Amino acid sequence: MIRSLNKYRHVFLVGLQSNLIYRWNFLIRASFSAFHLVVVFMLWSAAYEGKTEIGGFNVAQTMTYFIALMVIRFFISAFNEDYQISEEIRNGLINQFLLKPIDYFIYRLSIFGAARFVSGLLAIVPLLVALPFVRDYVELPFGEGEAWRLYFGLPALAMSAVIQFTIAFCFGMLTFWFLEIQSFVVLSYAIESLLAGQIFPLDLLPRPLFIFSQYLPYYYQMYFPVAILTGRLNDPAGAAQGLMLQFAWMIILLTIARLLWTRGLRRHTAVGG
Amino acid sequence: MKNDPDNTQTPEGRTTRPAAGSSHSPFSILHSTLGRVAAGPRYGRIWLACVRYSVVRAMMFRFDFIMWSIVELLWMGVNVALIAVIYEHTDSIAGWNKYQMMLLIGTSMIIQRLMMGFFWSNIFELGRNVRSGNFDFFLAQPGNVLFMVSTRKLDLDSLMNVFAAIALVVYSLWQLGVAPTAWQVVTYVLLLVCSLAISYSFILLAVSLTFWIIKTEGIEGSYFSLTEFSRLPREAVKSVIINVAFVYVIPVVVVSNIPANTLLRGISPAHVLWLAGAAAVWFSMAVFVFNRGLRRYASASS
Repeated sequence: MIRSLNKYRHVFLVGLQSNLIYRWNFLIRASFSAFHLVVVFMLWSAAYEGKTEIGGFNVAQTMTYFIALMVIRFFISAFNEDYQISEEIRNGLINQFLLKPIDYFIYRLSIFGAARFVSGLLAIVPLLVALPFVRDYVELPFGEGEAWRLYFGLPALAMSAVIQFTIAFCFGMLTFWFLEIQSFVVLSYAIESLLAGQIFPLDLLPRPLFIFSQYLPYYYQMYFPVAILTGRLNDPAGAAQGLMLQFAWMIILLTIARLLWTRGLRRHTAVGG
Repeated sequence: MKNDPDNTQTPEGRTTRPAAGSSHSPFSILHSTLGRVAAGPRYGRIWLACVRYSVVRAMMFRFDFIMWSIVELLWMGVNVALIAVIYEHTDSIAGWNKYQMMLLIGTSMIIQRLMMGFFWSNIFELGRNVRSGNFDFFLAQPGNVLFMVSTRKLDLDSLMNVFAAIALVVYSLWQLGVAPTAWQVVTYVLLLVCSLAISYSFILLAVSLTFWIIKTEGIEGSYFSLTEFSRLPREAVKSVIINVAFVYVIPVVVVSNIPANTLLRGISPAHVLWLAGAAAVWFSMAVFVFNRGLRRYASASS
């Protein structure tokens, strides 16, 4: 057990180094996100004109949601893991894992962990630059009796990361069946951004749609942890129930990933080496 | 035109003064004039050949074509959903009502999809080719380099979605009960051409940096970050810095706002002049920088 953990610890460390090479890419991406945030800010400020609340939240709470979303993305989102996996399958790089006592899923998960560690740390730089400008709009719900947010929010974040990675892994697996997976990825990215609450806070949806969205996996890949941490989800009982659903989705997705991997390998012909 | 065989004159033709009595010169002038007139249809033919090639390619990879058309339609749907959700809770964004906003989104989508359909992947590949040295291939072609680079292929899936964007604009007009005059529609179309020229010039400028700095990967992505601004009403821009940067210097807010306002509130000559002027300035700047870059290009040996 310890020995096998040690194995993936090394993968993590190698992942750290190879991701540090892309530090500029992450920084540039973080700066582009800043533009996105400016647009979001102007759009929602204009929508709040002459209003004190939208959907029960004031402008600062809504902006806090979007800022948290942007920061947390760098810690838990899968960016191009699907393409990397797809490339490794196409180039025959996965062949080496078929012969070694390394589980490909855990191997990729370790690299994903390293990548998010690097990008998360780098995202702090633009955040520190932006903080003086947005400070008035950050309203975090941490006071007396709010500790439950951390107890629920942090596990939710971890599970969100696994869900995001597993979805990306599944899309990578499609390479066994299709030559080009890019269109699938961008298609699912559109659905994910909408239903994970990256375009607007899901609670602003009409009530039936909002309830429906809670039964989909997308809700748990972003909106759920962010809503707990930024005060859009305010009842601990509901959060506990959400955690259970999130756990269920995580297991379902992990099973699908495993299934696609074993099925895919049967179709796989090792080319090159 | 230095690579254009139809337009090449003999060295004699260039050195001979068109003096009276020289039997050579009238023919030479006639020849070069005809050559120049013929160049128009010739470029048209080259472009049509590219269109044909793109259609054949799209039909070969039919599944891909259908998938990408759906992908782009869905992304448009995401933007419409955002507006629909906000208007569930408010009736006005910076003085624009729901369908005025939809019309703005539709207009910005028309520009973006035209850009992607006609030019984006061509310009994107320009950057890659300059890095790899494959750009030599374009220099060897008998035609204006910029024209050959920019029109190599079309993305039909994006062009399909132009119709969806137009449908959104028409639907919004119908919901608003606004019936624009023929003049308004003509001006709107011409303004869209100006906006397309500005977008094209912006990306060409960004990618032309590759001639100087080899590592420019990801710079094209800035276009998509910036187009987000064109989905905002100009009235929503309150900050002075943003106003200077994205209304005046990079006119990314007005490229959609001026055409949309032309349909909604009538033709404003000042605004039309503004957008046309901006298009002229940006296009000349881009062509100038591209040509300067071209002079620096020294291929890449392997």
